[in-house]
Amino acid sequence: MTRWLCHILCSMLWVPIWAQEVVHLDNVQVVAQRRLKDVGVEMTKLDTVVLHENISLSMADILSKNSTAFVKSYGRATESLVEFRGTSPSHTQVTWNGMRINSPMLGTLDFSTIPAYFIDEANLYHGASSINLIGGGLGGAVEMVNLPVEKKGWGMQFVQGIGSFDTYDDFLRLTYKNQRFTSSTRMVYATSDNDYPYTNRDKKTDVYDKYGNWVSSYHPEEHNKSGYFDDLHLLQEFHYDAGKGHQLGASVWWTHSKRGLPFLSVDYKDDSDFKNEQRNNTLRGLLSWNRIGEKVKWGMKAGITYADIGYEYFTTRQEMKTSITSSRSYSNTAFLSTHTDWMLTPQLMLMGGVDVYYTHVNSHDRSPFHIGKNFDMGRPEYHANVQARWRPWKVFSLAGVVREEVYKDDWVAPIPALFADVILWQPWNVVLKASVARNYRYPTMDDLYFQPGGNPDLQPEKGFTYDMGVEFAVKKARWTLKGNATAFDSHIKDWILWTPNTKGFWEPSNVKKVHNYGMECSLDGSFLLMKDLKVSLAGNFAWTPSKNIGEDINSNDASYGKQLCYVPKTSANVNARIQWRTWTLLYQWNHYSERYTTTSNEVNYITGRLKPYYMTDLSLEKTFCWHQVDGAVKGVINNLFSTEYVTVLSRPMPRRNYEIYLTIKL
Amino acid sequence: MLLSASLLTAACSGSDDTSGEEHFSSTGKGVFVLCEGNFNAGNATLSYYDPETKKVENGVFQRANDRKLGDTGQSIILRNGVAYIAVENSGIIWAIDAITFRVKGQVSATGTRIINPRYVHFVNDTKAYVTDLYSPYINMINPKTFTWTGAISTKQAESRGYCSTEEMVQVGKYVYTNCWSYSNKLLVIDTETDEMVKEITLSSWQPKSMKADKNGKLWVITDGGYSTDDESFSDNIPHLYRIDAETGVVEMDQALDSDEANVQIEMNGTKDVLYIINNDIYKMNITASHLPVRPFIEAPKDAKGRRHKLYGIGVNPRNGDIYVGDAVDYSQAGVVYRYDANGVLVDQFRVGINPNHFAFK
Repeated sequence: MTRWLCHILCSMLWVPIWAQEVVHLDNVQVVAQRRLKDVGVEMTKLDTVVLHENISLSMADILSKNSTAFVKSYGRATESLVEFRGTSPSHTQVTWNGMRINSPMLGTLDFSTIPAYFIDEANLYHGASSINLIGGGLGGAVEMVNLPVEKKGWGMQFVQGIGSFDTYDDFLRLTYKNQRFTSSTRMVYATSDNDYPYTNRDKKTDVYDKYGNWVSSYHPEEHNKSGYFDDLHLLQEFHYDAGKGHQLGASVWWTHSKRGLPFLSVDYKDDSDFKNEQRNNTLRGLLSWNRIGEKVKWGMKAGITYADIGYEYFTTRQEMKTSITSSRSYSNTAFLSTHTDWMLTPQLMLMGGVDVYYTHVNSHDRSPFHIGKNFDMGRPEYHANVQARWRPWKVFSLAGVVREEVYKDDWVAPIPALFADVILWQPWNVVLKASVARNYRYPTMDDLYFQPGGNPDLQPEKGFTYDMGVEFAVKKARWTLKGNATAFDSHIKDWILWTPNTKGFWEPSNVKKVHNYGMECSLDGSFLLMKDLKVSLAGNFAWTPSKNIGEDINSNDASYGKQLCYVPKTSANVNARIQWRTWTLLYQWNHYSERYTTTSNEVNYITGRLKPYYMTDLSLEKTFCWHQVDGAVKGVINNLFSTEYVTVLSRPMPRRNYEIYLTIKL
Repeated sequence: MLLSASLLTAACSGSDDTSGEEHFSSTGKGVFVLCEGNFNAGNATLSYYDPETKKVENGVFQRANDRKLGDTGQSIILRNGVAYIAVENSGIIWAIDAITFRVKGQVSATGTRIINPRYVHFVNDTKAYVTDLYSPYINMINPKTFTWTGAISTKQAESRGYCSTEEMVQVGKYVYTNCWSYSNKLLVIDTETDEMVKEITLSSWQPKSMKADKNGKLWVITDGGYSTDDESFSDNIPHLYRIDAETGVVEMDQALDSDEANVQIEMNGTKDVLYIINNDIYKMNITASHLPVRPFIEAPKDAKGRRHKLYGIGVNPRNGDIYVGDAVDYSQAGVVYRYDANGVLVDQFRVGINPNHFAFK
């Protein structure tokens, strides 16, 4: 019986078969011993329920509503970058099924281009914990995973969404599973005029009488100009269980995106005169082989990423075509990886791996306002890691990780990290965790090679991070509760910053030293109040002072000790879900505190700060079953209180808007 | 409890950016400081400084008009009590009353050939030329009625930058403009026919700033372009030229230091002395054969010897006071230094981001 329960628990938690669980059946209290893999790790896990909340959500939306990460969004379905703990977006490393997918040029990932429906599980590694996954995540790392199909036989899911601003979302998933083979085909198509109205507080229209005398003025009601999008995503996965622990997998993910780049709220040009558009094709492919033995797990992966990005900005007014920007960037990345996990004893685990990337980028601008290629360059990268995890006593675990990275022929100093945790009180799984790590981020290809401006003499960004926190998890018959609170302290030096120069272009340099510190807390509980009535509550809170402590540029520099631009000191979100029979009501709330737009944190400066805002979304879903068909109808109100807000200067966000979804499952 | 707390806060939120319009009455002989802001942030601002009281008012455009100035403020020029401000990436030219700072009119890109307006030059009371970073035209506006009246083709090939146009000076009936972006040309426009009639080609790339002296000579400074890996684009060395406006003959050509130079030219009120930013501030009589070796004003240095980044220069035509903008780190409130005509520091004050242009009442 105990073994049977252990297996159920394993499958629920997706833990390796050698993980240890202790199940006390008498009071239905579960004490799952922490996986050795997770020793000292600060991680936020987002499961399918959260990720597949609704079809129109991107990973950017999911992270802003369900984590302490800050999402810097330039508008609806517009570039959205994710920052952990007050670092920059390029300090967030992102992997998809083990392959890094950050842009090799910018080092960032636009999370608005990742449909949440394409991801089955996302793990957010905060600070030093990212070293368990990948190097370079000075802020953290996001691991996105696709899981094999669970339902046997054929399956189909179709979702049709219709929303405000002529928004249409379609999702189709076809699945098949037999004893050894699974196939999953997913398609997401999203299109929208995205011309949401807003009161433009940055403009004012003057009203004059017939004699030309000023009478009055008002802030005009405008529409988001050039904000349209047309995105198509296809994801095909195959998994094959070859027996004797051999597992094969293949995934291909293709994205075609055409997006208008919205005009600023202070732009007086007419969008019908100008085309400002980005087109993007991305193909990611991955082959994997895993051999899971009793004590050893060995895996190999091979992947490719192809991306082309075209950016066009031109005007065709009065039969005059003027091309202002016409840039093309092509990047090809080849990826090879091998990893081994070796469970020497139940108390000692060794892990190691090597990842190799080769990236080639060809970037140029065909407009008459640019001369020569931006760059045409290839760069190999070699990443190796060894990890040891040891549980000398039942309540104490220790882990050490060392990474080494080589970029072309430049060896980065080793990246070491130490993790420890102690179980303080077993009945509630109260665990004290701590970690210390030294991390690096190597400059991106744009940082080094972009012409004009690239700086081949840049040094890697370097940082020390210290984390300490407490977490707990308890499960009772009618309720479960888990939570954690972590304090962190991080010092990053040689922070790379692009600044304008006197020739009219921008150049990067190692200029800043940044001290990030603060606290992240989360609480997640679900309560069965009565038969058929379940309430779930989840909340996150982050306090992230992120201060420039680098040497001032000169005596006029007032940025020393000030909060970094666009980094909120506090952020919070709450998700409340009430499920009653076939009805689900979801209330989502999130908050970002004031953000400064100048390095000197000018509070009296008119455009020097962005006001704090509170955002509320509400949805109601009704599921139904009709013969062999499962279905659901869902209505969503985004920005319930029609809050006027921006997350970036001069980029207004939509007020209250609506969506309705119909889901059919076979 | 969390839910109710968040519901309460949500209900209380909302934009309250209704600060209204502030009333100004600046009758003195003050100085407008245009602060460019950051590209694509929409945070250009306008400051007003009173040299008598040494008081500065920042963000006066927004405070007086309850609207933002826009994205990337490029230039400001005064005529008949009205300040005309070209806000490049917003595609608009504002006209504000120089005393109240209230908007009197505007010319926007819609319905014109304006894309990113850079500078305004008044040919007469009813005709002004507007140069542009991207448009292959110099637009014409009526500064009295704030209406677009036409456009002058630059007649340049599309291969490189359409020879985007920058500053303008007038000698006789001809207006001269320098083509900064990827060009080495000056264009000559006949103000009677409103046509481009002549080009002057320079030996150095990217003429960035130009002024005319009292003898009808053009003073032009280039930034020297830059080089890329696969296609060399000039040599990165700024040059200073004196050109006879009438004949187009280059009478003086001096190569300057290339070290991070933000090259700009200003002229004094009598148009017989040049002031040049080239890291430091140089002063040069128009009869001199070359730029002095020693600067007139060294860029301010702090206790650690670090030189401040000079970003813009203006010379008060009335008393020769020199105003120099310091961008600091390009992302915070900049500093303006005010020197007297002898180069003695009189005052310094904080303004907006990237102070780049001055206009004197």
